Amino acid sequence: MSFELLETIAYLLTGGFLVFLAITITRDNFTNRVNRVTGGLLLFAGLAPISIAVGYLLTQGVSETTPFEQTTLYSFHLTWELFFPTLVVFALLFPFNRLKGLGNTRWIYLLLAPQLIHLFLELTFGELNILVTNLENRVTEGGLSGIFLTPLSYIATRLIVLLGIVKTYSVNIFGVINLTYVMISVYLLETGRKLQTNPRLQAQTNVVLWGLRLALGIFVISQLTLHFDYIKLPEKWLTALRLTALLIGGGAFAFGIIRRQFLDIRLVFRQSLIYTFTSILLVGTYIFLAMQSAKFLVPFFGARAETISYLFIVFILLLFPSISNWIDTIIRSMFMRTRTDYRNIIERFSREAISMFEPAKLRQTIDEALKTSLLVDNVYFVLYDDSVGEYAILQSDDYSKRTVISRDDMLLRGINLLDKPTSYSSLNDYQEDSQLAAILNERSIKLILPLKDANHLIGFLALTGKAAGYRYTPEDYNLLAVLSNQMVIALTNARLYADSLEKIRLQEEISMARQIQLDLLPDKPPDIPNTMICAESTPSRTVGGDFYDFIPVNRKERMGIVIADASGKGMPAALLIAQIQAILHSEVNNGNPISVVMKNMNQQIYRATSSEKYVTLFYGEYDHVSRDFHYSNAGHNYPMLVRECGEVEFLIEGGPIIGALPGIEYQSATVRLNDNDVLFLFTDGLSEAMDKDDVEYGEPRIRDFIVERRGMDPEVIMSELVRDVRQFDPTHPPQDDTTMVAIKIRNGKIDSHESRL
Amino acid sequence: MRLSDREQDGVVILQPKGKIMGGPDATLLHDKLYEYIDQGKKNVVVDLAGVDWMNSTGLGILISGFTTLRNNDGILKLANVTDKIQSLLTITKLVSVFEAHDSIEEAIASFND
Repeated sequence: MSFELLETIAYLLTGGFLVFLAITITRDNFTNRVNRVTGGLLLFAGLAPISIAVGYLLTQGVSETTPFEQTTLYSFHLTWELFFPTLVVFALLFPFNRLKGLGNTRWIYLLLAPQLIHLFLELTFGELNILVTNLENRVTEGGLSGIFLTPLSYIATRLIVLLGIVKTYSVNIFGVINLTYVMISVYLLETGRKLQTNPRLQAQTNVVLWGLRLALGIFVISQLTLHFDYIKLPEKWLTALRLTALLIGGGAFAFGIIRRQFLDIRLVFRQSLIYTFTSILLVGTYIFLAMQSAKFLVPFFGARAETISYLFIVFILLLFPSISNWIDTIIRSMFMRTRTDYRNIIERFSREAISMFEPAKLRQTIDEALKTSLLVDNVYFVLYDDSVGEYAILQSDDYSKRTVISRDDMLLRGINLLDKPTSYSSLNDYQEDSQLAAILNERSIKLILPLKDANHLIGFLALTGKAAGYRYTPEDYNLLAVLSNQMVIALTNARLYADSLEKIRLQEEISMARQIQLDLLPDKPPDIPNTMICAESTPSRTVGGDFYDFIPVNRKERMGIVIADASGKGMPAALLIAQIQAILHSEVNNGNPISVVMKNMNQQIYRATSSEKYVTLFYGEYDHVSRDFHYSNAGHNYPMLVRECGEVEFLIEGGPIIGALPGIEYQSATVRLNDNDVLFLFTDGLSEAMDKDDVEYGEPRIRDFIVERRGMDPEVIMSELVRDVRQFDPTHPPQDDTTMVAIKIRNGKIDSHESRL
Repeated sequence: MRLSDREQDGVVILQPKGKIMGGPDATLLHDKLYEYIDQGKKNVVVDLAGVDWMNSTGLGILISGFTTLRNNDGILKLANVTDKIQSLLTITKLVSVFEAHDSIEEAIASFND
C-alpha cells in the first residue's frame, strides 16, 4: 500500500470523525445555538482533510497529468477556513452567551466575509481574469460600446490587479486574518472562563482552551517547518502532526460541548467512530466506483468527465441524509439498544431515587440531578406537608428558612392548575397580591415544575434560569416532565415509608397502652372468706373501654367491686377508664360513703370531659362479716343476684350515667347475700352480642343461663356462658368490649376453716 | 344516620333516621342544633320514631345535644321513643333527665304548658 493511500485514509478518517461528531452534536439539540455553532465548527474542521482526501482520490482516476493543487476541487478545501469565524462565534456563545440582549445579531455573519472572499477568489480568479481581458479587448476595439465600457474596464482592471495582489499573498493575508480570529477567540474564551462561576463550565472552558492552544501550536509547528529548510520534516510527520492537531482541537470542542449538555460522552464518541468507519467504507466504495466509471467515461465525455464526477458527488450528498439515517437506525439497534442520553439521566435518577427514603436526601438528589444535568442555577422546593396540611418553601442550599405558603395564595392556585413544566412568565396573571410570587420574583424564577399525584398537587419545584443564561429548550421541558413523574413517585414512596414508620410507632404505643391497661386490672381476685370470685375482661380492640376492679376499703371486712363501661371504644374510652379508675380509688380511699363516691366521681368526670363522653358504672362494697352488699348503679346494665332458690333480683338503685350531667345525686342500696347466691356483673358487650340475623343474645338469656347453672362454681358458669355467647355470635374479635365478674357465696360452715386464711 | 329538620309552631323538630352511632353523626346533629340556637330557636323535639338503634356513642350525642341546649337556655325533648331506646334510657337512668312524649304534637304542646 502506497504512502499516499495511507495518508488519504488517515485524512478521511479524521475528517469523517469530526464531521460525524458535528452531525451528532447538532442533531442532539438543533434548537440550541451552541450546538449548531459547535456542529459548524467541527464540520469546517473536518472539511479540510476530507476535501484533500477526496480530491486526491478523484484526481488519481481522472487526470493524472494535472497536479491536484491546480484543480477547482482543491480550491474547495478552503471552506475549512470558515472554521475561524465560526470559532469566534463559538467563543461569543461559550461558556456564556455574550450576544444576549444585543437584539438583532445577524451582523455576526459579516465575520464570514474574509474567508468567503478568499474562497471566491480562489474559485473564480481565473475566470475573472479572462473576463477582464475580454473587456479590455472590447474597449480597444472602440466604438460606442467601447466608450461606454471604458470606465468599467478601468475599474475592473484596477480591481483585478488588486485581487491579483491579494491572491498572490493570499496565504499571508488570510493567514493573518485567521490568526487574528483565533486570538480574538482565545481572548473571549479566556475572559469567559474567568467570569464563569459554575465550576463545571469553568472546567469545560479550560478543556476547550487547552485543546485549541495545543491544536494551534502543533499546526503552527507543522507550517513553520515548511519555511525553514534546516528543520524540514518528512511528509509523513507533517501529515501526522496536522491530523493530531485537528483531532485534539475538534475533540476538545466536542468534549467541552458534550459535557456542558448532558449527553453521554462515551456514547457520542463511540457513535461518531462507528459512523466514521461505516461511512468511510461507503465513501471508499463510491469513490472506487466513481474512479472506475470516470475512466470508463473519459472516452465518451472527454474533459467533461470530471464535471460528471462532481455531479456524482452532489448526487451522493443528496442521498446522504437518508443513508445516514439508515446507518443510524442500524447502529442503534445493534450497539445501543436502549441507551440514549436522556434515558441515561432518567435511568440514573430513578435508580438513585427509588432506594432513597429519607426526604431530605431525596431532595438533595433531585437538586443535584437538575443542577448537573440541566445546569439549573438554583432549585427551590415547595412541598405539601401532610402532617400539618400546608404548603411550604423548604429549607435548602438555596433557601435559608422554611416558609409556609397560604392556601389561598393566588400563585399557588395558578400552579395547582398546571400539569406540566411551565415557564414562570406564563403565570403572570396569578402573581398579583401573592406572597409566593414576591418570594419567587426576588429569585428570578424561570420555570415551574408541578409535582402531581393523580390530581393532587404534592408540591412543585421552582427553577431559576440555567447557568450562563441559556434558555430551557423543548427537550429540557420534556425531560423535566418525565423527571417530575419520577420525583412524584420517589417523594410519595418516601412519605409512605415515613408514614409506615409512624404507624409502627403508633402500634407500639398502643401495645404499651394495652400493657398498661392490663396492669391496671387486678392480677387475680382477692381472697375473701366464704367467697368465690371470678372475673374476665376482653377488649374488642387492642385497648378497651371496659374494666373491673377490686378495691381495698378502709374497713377491712369490706371489699369494693367495680365494673364499668366507657362510651365509645379504643383509645379514647381507655383513657376515660383510666381516669375513672384513679378517681374511684382516691374517693374510696377517702372513706366516703358510696353515694358520695358516685356523686364526686360524676362531678369530676363531667368537668374533665365533654358531655358525650360518659361511663356506665356499678360500684358495690361487700362486707363478708355481715354479708351485706352496699351498692350504687350509675346507669350500668343491671347486675343479677341469683338466689339459691332460682329467684333473680336486679341491682338497679343509683343514678344516671357518670360524666354526662352535672350535680347529680346518687342513691345507694343494700342487699344481703346468702349461702350459694350468685352475683353476676357484666357489660353490654355480653348482652348485645348478635347472631347473623341481628338478634341480640339479650339479658333474659343470660339470666336463664345462670339460673340453670347456679349450683356450679362461678368459674364454670362464666366459661360456659362465654362459650354459649361465642356460639351465638362467632364474630371474632367480639364487636364490643366484654367484661364479667361472678361472685358466689359459699356455705359458711364448710369455709369456716378457710376464712381464717 | 340521616337527619331532617323542620319547624312546627315555633318548635324545631329534628328527625334522625337509621342508627345513631357516632362519628360523623355527632357533628351533624351538633351543627344543626347550633344553627337553630344561633337563630334563637331553642325549643327542640327529637323525633326518634325512625331510629332503629343507638349505641353508647349515639346516646352520648343525644346527651350532648341536651346539655348544649340547656347551657343555652333551651330544652331538648324526645318524641316517639321506641322500646329499645326506652330501655336504654331506663337502664342509664336518663328517663328522669329527658322529657319524653308519645307524639310530636304532644311534645310541641308541652312547650306551652
